[in-house]
Amino acid sequence: MTVRAWRGISFAERMATVDFRVGARAHITVDAEICRSCTTTACVTACPADLFAPTADGGILFNYEECFECGTCYMVCNREGAITWTYPDGGQGVVFHHG
Amino acid sequence: MGEPVAGRPSGGKRTEPGAGPNRTGGQTGPLVVACVRIVDLRPHVDPLTGRITRDPAGLGLPAPDAAALEHALRIGEAWSGRVVVAAAGPSPAPGGTPDAVLGELAALGATVVHLAEAGPAVHGRDRDMAETALRHPGTERPAATDSGALWELTADEGALARRIVNALSPFGVPAAVLCGDRSPDRGTGALPGFLAHELGAAQALGAVAVAPGDGHLLVDRRLDGGWRERLRVPCPAVCSVEGGGVRLRRATLPALLAAGPTAVHPAAPVRGGTVDGAREGSGPGPVTLRILGPPRPYRPRTRIVAPPADPDPRIRLLELTGALEAHDPPTVLGPIGAPEAADALVDFLVRHGYLDAPLPGAPARAGAP
Amino acid sequence: MSGATEFDAVVVGAGPAGSAAAIALARAGRSVVLVERGPFPGSKNVYGGVVYGRILDQIVPAWWEEVPVERWIVRRSTMMMTGTQSLSVDYRSQAWADRPYNGMTTVRSRFDRWLAGKATDAGARLVTSTVATGLVRDASGRICGVHTDRGDGDLRARVVVACDGVNSFLAKEAGLLPPAEASHHTLGVKEVLDLPRSVIDERFGLTGDEGTDIEILGCTRGIPGGGFLYTNADTVSVGVVLSLPHLAAAGVRPEELIADLKEHPSIAPYLRGATLREYAAHLIPEGGYDAMPTLATDGMLVAGDAAAMTLAAGIWLEGVNFAIGSGLAAGRAVDRAIGAGDCSAAGLASYRADLEAQFVLADHKRFRRAPSLILSERVQQRYPGFLCDMAEELFTVTNPTPKPGGLRATRIAAARHGVTLRALAADTLRALRVFG
Repeated sequence: MTVRAWRGISFAERMATVDFRVGARAHITVDAEICRSCTTTACVTACPADLFAPTADGGILFNYEECFECGTCYMVCNREGAITWTYPDGGQGVVFHHG
Repeated sequence: MGEPVAGRPSGGKRTEPGAGPNRTGGQTGPLVVACVRIVDLRPHVDPLTGRITRDPAGLGLPAPDAAALEHALRIGEAWSGRVVVAAAGPSPAPGGTPDAVLGELAALGATVVHLAEAGPAVHGRDRDMAETALRHPGTERPAATDSGALWELTADEGALARRIVNALSPFGVPAAVLCGDRSPDRGTGALPGFLAHELGAAQALGAVAVAPGDGHLLVDRRLDGGWRERLRVPCPAVCSVEGGGVRLRRATLPALLAAGPTAVHPAAPVRGGTVDGAREGSGPGPVTLRILGPPRPYRPRTRIVAPPADPDPRIRLLELTGALEAHDPPTVLGPIGAPEAADALVDFLVRHGYLDAPLPGAPARAGAP
Repeated sequence: MSGATEFDAVVVGAGPAGSAAAIALARAGRSVVLVERGPFPGSKNVYGGVVYGRILDQIVPAWWEEVPVERWIVRRSTMMMTGTQSLSVDYRSQAWADRPYNGMTTVRSRFDRWLAGKATDAGARLVTSTVATGLVRDASGRICGVHTDRGDGDLRARVVVACDGVNSFLAKEAGLLPPAEASHHTLGVKEVLDLPRSVIDERFGLTGDEGTDIEILGCTRGIPGGGFLYTNADTVSVGVVLSLPHLAAAGVRPEELIADLKEHPSIAPYLRGATLREYAAHLIPEGGYDAMPTLATDGMLVAGDAAAMTLAAGIWLEGVNFAIGSGLAAGRAVDRAIGAGDCSAAGLASYRADLEAQFVLADHKRFRRAPSLILSERVQQRYPGFLCDMAEELFTVTNPTPKPGGLRATRIAAARHGVTLRALAADTLRALRVFG
């Protein structure tokens, strides 16, 4: 997780405003072996939901539960095959009420 | 611990003998009913005024209700019975979300009976009044007949139970009724009790798991300390289940395409007074109970250390706090995997006498009995 | 699979493009199924500003009487800012406050549901909570339906209309879109903030259903993109749009940039006391005309965001109207192709011709160079500060020092921001060519 200054609302509180219907299947998978050779780790800062965290051994730990399903992570990823990204199962995932 | 708190039908003021487990009035096997309520899963609560805004887009099945339906479908399959879903919720609007939710229910292979809530009045003044009255008993209740139905749904669960039983009467007498144990929409959790009373059925509330038996249900419930009790609940039975444990299956695409809005039956209007057929026959048999021991968590005993004996309080204090003693420097193990970390912890505990040394030959991390 | 019902068309995605396509097809008497992966249409969708509704004339006469509108835009403001300054071009027209209106703000969960309702009213079959996971092909390799993630879930159709959004896995599977082209995408992040209606009216100078849309340049720490702030009925939406490769390179978290914008002295007073209602993020295809995929292949058409049909041309930021326009055209083309009995790429070619003839591709073609100009280094990093400083030089009264005069003010500001007059002239010419 990135360290950040207090800007009026905590990140957890920010994410709590969004309706996520969490499916049983992870729709993101990360191949940490590929990530170990990555120096940019762009997904860590670019993901608007902050789902990717670097681990001490150079891999990437990911969450899928609070995903906006935007696709930023696999678009900015410069390692072919590191992030596999599909849509969550039908009816699951983010539900925007004020999009 | 382990008192069989659930079991006998509550009260039973008008209960008459009848309705054994095998006499469910079914033409094609026992009747299994799931009672669900279609609600806005994430209503907006104004932080200042407490005013609640419901969005028709947010309508869906709460997790406990979805679990109840899944259990009902599994029991129905095991018994080769019929499954009826009594779905309370807003009236379907053409193309609207309630329609989609009801259509999905109908596509699961169950007969869906829809108990329509009041239409537009739900979002208007009457809803506010109903909610105010709920918060502050004694204030004015909405008078209009439509919102009367609403009132039933939001507050008087006895009346709702009568309405559900009445709506189910064309299908026969249920052998098992499953409900969710709570609703995000002001449910009090009392509905299953009222239903059991109306049906003259045994009840077991707050179940973790429900398994079909022969003429009974096996119901697991939580007890303190990780224990479970397993109730053998004779049919007819009413159970409420937790939201976890099972996930509601998804309808197949052909079933979904076949199940239009027409697959949903509107509930029959309420006829006054008692319900036909439901409370005939002898009441349910006794509920039997077994306590299931859990794998107990290991709690090592406290190690007793003799108090320092020195007459000088300063020395005693130093001895107690260990302030001047040499300490092991902190050990940095570095990033290691979970099994290695567990081994390191167990080694530490053994080294310092909190644990007996592991049996020779046993893997080190199985040190805790 | 063999027993599956065959439809004339399966439309994937019940957003504006998909619903429009389904409407056109159902009204032409074709059997159409509209597949939506969310629990309701609009549940996965986010937009960043204004819906221009005139295209709805083709669907619902007097649509303004029933469309779920939040506010009608009467005031459009383009703001250039630095950390402490801002310069706005602010236009207001009461003509936009009445029929047939110009732009509106809405909530996608309501707007998209309304439009999908028009499709089901016309006879389309809407199937929600269902993901189209891949394409079904016949023995000859021609696309003839989609796989879904439901049991027994193949849908067979003569034509597949892929309106499955910016990540369009169907267009990618068909080989029409590259797997991941970050440089053609921007990330939009948005906060919807609660603010009482009367407070919005007062702060933005609005009455009744009137609304404001403010587009902002220079608020993204040099990352190509921009910001926006617009009014809904009793919420306001504020957010930023960020070029993906530059966002990744900058290592800045997107919500930090929204926080920057909200703290800017020109924006903060609008938002004082507002509380967060919902945070959202979505990708935008901003490659423009030159990044568009091939629009038709044997048995399949692509429309809306899946076909990169958003106009991100600086002063025009549109998408929903292009999605509806392309969806309608796709529906009509499929109807014609089925009527002619030829659903191959050649049979569906009237789709592109139709789009070229109307605003959808004509606008994109005319402004095809706009994205690269708008996202260029000078426009993004130098001109906002340059213009703000020029205004400051002009409007700061420095008595007893005499006024600098226009040309001198320009020179001072240009020098401060490393803008040569030559580059300025070149960019002015370029802008004239791009937008002329």
